[in-house]
Amino acid sequence: MRVAGTSYNEMMVSQLNLLTSQQQQLENQVTTGMRVTKPEDDPAAMGQALNMDTENSALTQYSQNITSLQSRSDLVASSLQQLQSLTDQATEIATEADGTATPTQLQAYASQVSGLIQQAVSIANTQDGDQYIFGGTKSSEAPYTTTTDASGNITAVNYQGNTSVMQSDIGPGTKMSVDIPGSNTTGSGARGLFTDSRYGADLFSHLISLQSDLESGDTTAIQSTDEPALVKDENNVIYQVSANGVGQSQLTAAASNNTTQQDAVQQSISSLTGADITQTIVNLTENQTTYQAALQGSSILLNLQQSLLEYL
Amino acid sequence: MLSLLDTLNIGASGLEAQQTGLTVTGQNIANQNNSAYTRQVVDLSAGPDIQTPNGFEGTGVQVSTIQQISDSALNGQICNQNSTENYWNTQQSNLENIQTELGQFLNTSSSSVDGTTGSDGTASSEGLSSQINSLFNGFESVASDPTSLSERQALVSQAQTLAGSFNQINTQLSGVESNINGSIDTDVASANQLMSNIASLNGQIAMAEAGTNNTANDLRDQREQDLENLSQLGNFQISTATDGTVSIVAGPYTMVSGSKVVSTLGTENWEGSHIVYSTTDNASVTFTGGSIAGEMDARDGALADLQSGVNTLASQLITQVNSVYSPGYDLNGNTGADFFTGTDASSIGVNSNLLTDPSQVQAAGTAGAASDNTVALALGQLATTSQSGLNNETFSDNFSLLVSGLGNSLSNANDQVASQQAVTQMLQNQRGSISGVSLDEEMTNMLTYQKAYQASAQVVSTVNEMLETLISMKTV
Repeated sequence: MRVAGTSYNEMMVSQLNLLTSQQQQLENQVTTGMRVTKPEDDPAAMGQALNMDTENSALTQYSQNITSLQSRSDLVASSLQQLQSLTDQATEIATEADGTATPTQLQAYASQVSGLIQQAVSIANTQDGDQYIFGGTKSSEAPYTTTTDASGNITAVNYQGNTSVMQSDIGPGTKMSVDIPGSNTTGSGARGLFTDSRYGADLFSHLISLQSDLESGDTTAIQSTDEPALVKDENNVIYQVSANGVGQSQLTAAASNNTTQQDAVQQSISSLTGADITQTIVNLTENQTTYQAALQGSSILLNLQQSLLEYL
Repeated sequence: MLSLLDTLNIGASGLEAQQTGLTVTGQNIANQNNSAYTRQVVDLSAGPDIQTPNGFEGTGVQVSTIQQISDSALNGQICNQNSTENYWNTQQSNLENIQTELGQFLNTSSSSVDGTTGSDGTASSEGLSSQINSLFNGFESVASDPTSLSERQALVSQAQTLAGSFNQINTQLSGVESNINGSIDTDVASANQLMSNIASLNGQIAMAEAGTNNTANDLRDQREQDLENLSQLGNFQISTATDGTVSIVAGPYTMVSGSKVVSTLGTENWEGSHIVYSTTDNASVTFTGGSIAGEMDARDGALADLQSGVNTLASQLITQVNSVYSPGYDLNGNTGADFFTGTDASSIGVNSNLLTDPSQVQAAGTAGAASDNTVALALGQLATTSQSGLNNETFSDNFSLLVSGLGNSLSNANDQVASQQAVTQMLQNQRGSISGVSLDEEMTNMLTYQKAYQASAQVVSTVNEMLETLISMKTV
């Protein structure tokens, strides 16, 4: 076949262009460590990577949600501990205030119970920052207000909160709450901490009744009414303590589950979009060898083209 | 028998013929780097015989024609291939612009908007995709701490970033569209210029070749060059008439016939689209090859799909978010406001009251419950909810599909460009082997003509000596 003089140059230029553009692409892959950075690189992988990135970012958010639930749960747990020891003491007083107790002892118990009531109100109005944690979702005002008599004793405690609790997403399709409403007398929904009509819990009125029975020395009422009522309150608090423990372990499990899932998602993204560095470097070396050969070949050809002229 | 003077003439005809040969060789060598040039060869023929008692004796040599070595079928093929290759080249470059303006890339070192970095160098996305994720994470963050003004503020600013990106992408894609329309105008103007050149070359060729069997080689080369340039703009149909002129037809409409421009091309906005039409026939012309078709197909295909996809995504986001958000209550107990304003990607914005007072974000399901997060939680969960207005895809999935759709178009164009370039290269080589100038061949021809010229000169000089011998005989 005849070969035109310009064919050499055209072929040479187009081959060298092809090789340099391949080189650039390979070098890009080596320096970024990524095979796919633009939609055109691998449209399907790009689409999947974007979806996984969405999943990854949601998992990051779930982990943040879990962290803030955990710190809230810790705060609730410390209030529950205080409350548990408080109900212990109250039940103990009610047990000891039987017929054998002297009126002086009963008066001393009465002022002890008065202190317990104050303490319980203060626990009930615990704040996380400026939010009250036992008021349901009505967190911006103190959930419990008190009525006092002339001598400063609390005669009634009124609940201002509601029975809803704040839920958060801790995983795909999984919601959780660590909050406890202070009082629930609706017969449904989250179990109240101080008052719940379903379980006979009504800590404040039981404590107030204990206090007034102690003051009046009515040990019969204490034994027959106040003590059994306080046991129900104690049980209710014990239930909340164990529910809080269960919640904490659920959160830990969810956190580790999220981490595992996130690792897997990130690994998938890497294997979808990452460059196989060894293979890429091998390809790059091959390409460079070809490029050098092409350059050398071209320079020989360019010299050869002059040959006939040189001989004449 | 011929006289000595006749023999002298034979020598002279040889000198003349070799000189013409050398001229053509010189012309070929001079044009060896002219890609539009077709090599020429000299056809020689023997002069008429004269009958003598000895038989027929020759009268030397004459140049019968200077011929172009070209293959018109191959030229036609190259024109078609030019149209196809340039169609894909144009698609590729426009789609790359669109890809750049969309700004959706993956990066190893980028941080997403909420400040979290892809751990251990995992690729994360930049652009609209990560901003959509950030918006829904913003709702989740408000849900997990509904009384926090700083979480609300962060949400509002993420929403603003997202709305800004929608606006920007919309503006940039419109910019690409008007650039494409501008290129169509430029290409149409070039096509008109080329067609007018070709018509005038047609006239010159017809005039030069009339009544001879010679071809106007250099004029034909010029015309071939113009035809090839024209074929890069559109797939015009070209046919050659017996008088050597070519006619040009675009779609069903004749543009050039002989030396006359029958119609020119024009552009206009018609029913919301920028179209090309034949000015004489007043009807639109559709090309299937060349840069004009490449521009139109990129505009009406990938670009239009992306523009409408982004608009649908934005308008669905506005309606869905607002329908969940609007019945919610803010920290002051107010309700009924919208989160997003606007209707599509060009107009989407964030309710301006929220920018100045994030407490007005309506995160609660009931009034007066500061920690009620039901609305914020429901908004966060929109992220994983299939939207009937988006083919039952989630917002993120829908956008990923738009991105990979564009990627598919561009990657297809890249493949086509690579293979079409190879085809063009093959055809060019094939033509080069027929019509291109080979320096080795020309050098050989040059030697041949030189030696023949020397030999013919020797004939003349020998006849001269013989004549002198004859003349000196008479004077003695």
